Amino acid sequence: MTDPVRAAPEDSTLVRVRGLTTVLNGKTIFDALDLDIPRGKVTAIMGPSGTGKTTLLKHITGQMRADAGEVLVDGQNVAQLSRERLYKMREGIGYLFQNSALLTDFDVFENVAFPLRQHTALPEVLIRNLVLLKLQAVGLRGAARLMPNELSGGMARRVALARAIVFDPMLILYDEPFVGLDPVALNQVLKLIRTLNQTLGITSVLVAHELEAIKQVADHVFLIANGKVVAQGDPKTIANDGSPWTRQFFGGDADGPVPFQYPAGDYAQALGFAGAAK
Amino acid sequence: MNARAPQGNNVVTQSLAQIGNCGLFLLTLLAAIPRSLRYFRETVRQLWFVGAMSLTIIMVCGLFVGMVLMLQLYSVLSTFGGTSASGMVVAVAVYRELGPVVTALLFAGRAGTSITAEIGLMRATDQIDAMEMMAVDPIAYVATPRFLAGLIAMPLLCTVFCAMAVLGGHLVGVTWLGIDNGTFWSNMTAVVEVHSDIVNGVLFKSLAFGAVVALIAVYQGFTTPPTSEGVAYATTRTVVASSIAILALDFVLTAFLM
Repeated sequence: MTDPVRAAPEDSTLVRVRGLTTVLNGKTIFDALDLDIPRGKVTAIMGPSGTGKTTLLKHITGQMRADAGEVLVDGQNVAQLSRERLYKMREGIGYLFQNSALLTDFDVFENVAFPLRQHTALPEVLIRNLVLLKLQAVGLRGAARLMPNELSGGMARRVALARAIVFDPMLILYDEPFVGLDPVALNQVLKLIRTLNQTLGITSVLVAHELEAIKQVADHVFLIANGKVVAQGDPKTIANDGSPWTRQFFGGDADGPVPFQYPAGDYAQALGFAGAAK
Repeated sequence: MNARAPQGNNVVTQSLAQIGNCGLFLLTLLAAIPRSLRYFRETVRQLWFVGAMSLTIIMVCGLFVGMVLMLQLYSVLSTFGGTSASGMVVAVAVYRELGPVVTALLFAGRAGTSITAEIGLMRATDQIDAMEMMAVDPIAYVATPRFLAGLIAMPLLCTVFCAMAVLGGHLVGVTWLGIDNGTFWSNMTAVVEVHSDIVNGVLFKSLAFGAVVALIAVYQGFTTPPTSEGVAYATTRTVVASSIAILALDFVLTAFLM
């Protein structure tokens, strides 16, 4: 019997977001957001801070429930999955956390081996070979016995990437992968993202702010603001599309559609000058 | 959840809400026990951390509690000429009350805080979320093994505490103050009963206290705001809530078990 919620494998869209609406602490994060993430491509999600980029990743992985709308991953409606099926889906998704989120009790080798030990009964020799294969791919086979606190930020990010790809996932979600990296480490991570996409065909979703880095790896960019997609397109040309959103975001203007001032009451009144103004 | 202490009229409401949430968390923990059986090695590892690593403080404190108790009793009982009963009174006091209660208080300070801080930091550094993303249930992998370890470790630690307290009483009473060795042991064995003192006191009470301390420690760790301030508050709350719960539960258990 075919699974009614599962899309045909030839569907070119891996993640489909429809009418996603999320309200957190009274603030509307997403307002009927629609977007499609194509299979086998690198897609970047950009936008001002606090616009809900990481929240979108949490919706894709089922860590958060939406107030309305749906998120379909490989044809499966994430919100409707049982716990077992959600965990099964997550086995096919790699997630690179902004701070790497390595397990501090384990060394590099055990961190990468962790998902294998939890979900497979592979013999130790095979686990060892798989882990070394992944560590070699990120250039850290020699660091296998280091503890997380002995790693630099860039190395920790690469170990987390090795862990994220240990099951050869269909989708990798990168949450701010370039933050805090020096140019060398940034280029190493960029190279890995590009290589993983080109050699294994892994669909990648990047949440980032660095347009120059995005231009080097991404096939498509979504700019999110005010709970909606305000611009999208090729990363090399999106900055010149002429909309006020892209002009402010990529031009780095302090004020514009994204206001400099956080919403507040009357300034004069706050300073106690309300009476004097009359 | 607000890491700060509840204010004004909300204290009672928020305390009741915390107790209710903690009760629901206990149900989640119990439901996760079958799933956590596959993490048996993690439970053993936690048993080492909360049990074996607490042995030094438990043994030292047990010894001194027994010594002080014997000194005080000897001083009081000597006015009635009843110093020969000192050993027996030390044993009964330790088995019924001091052993389980003091062990539980020490356990909350030593192991409970460590559990809360560890889980809180795991949350703050996204390790719990990372497990979720690797399709590993953090309740079954992180919470339940620590809860079970606390449950198993407390009766064992309490037994060690009681043994050391009796030894401390013997050291002071027999070796220092000159109570007859035979009288010390014979009075003790004549009065101490296996069911009412050992089973109800050492075993039953320490099991209950172990469950309460481990539950509070794990709950506070999982619900702490993922900030350094949040972890600090949660660790303090573990000690405060555990201490109150231990003493209140001790009264209830004693009333029912006597």
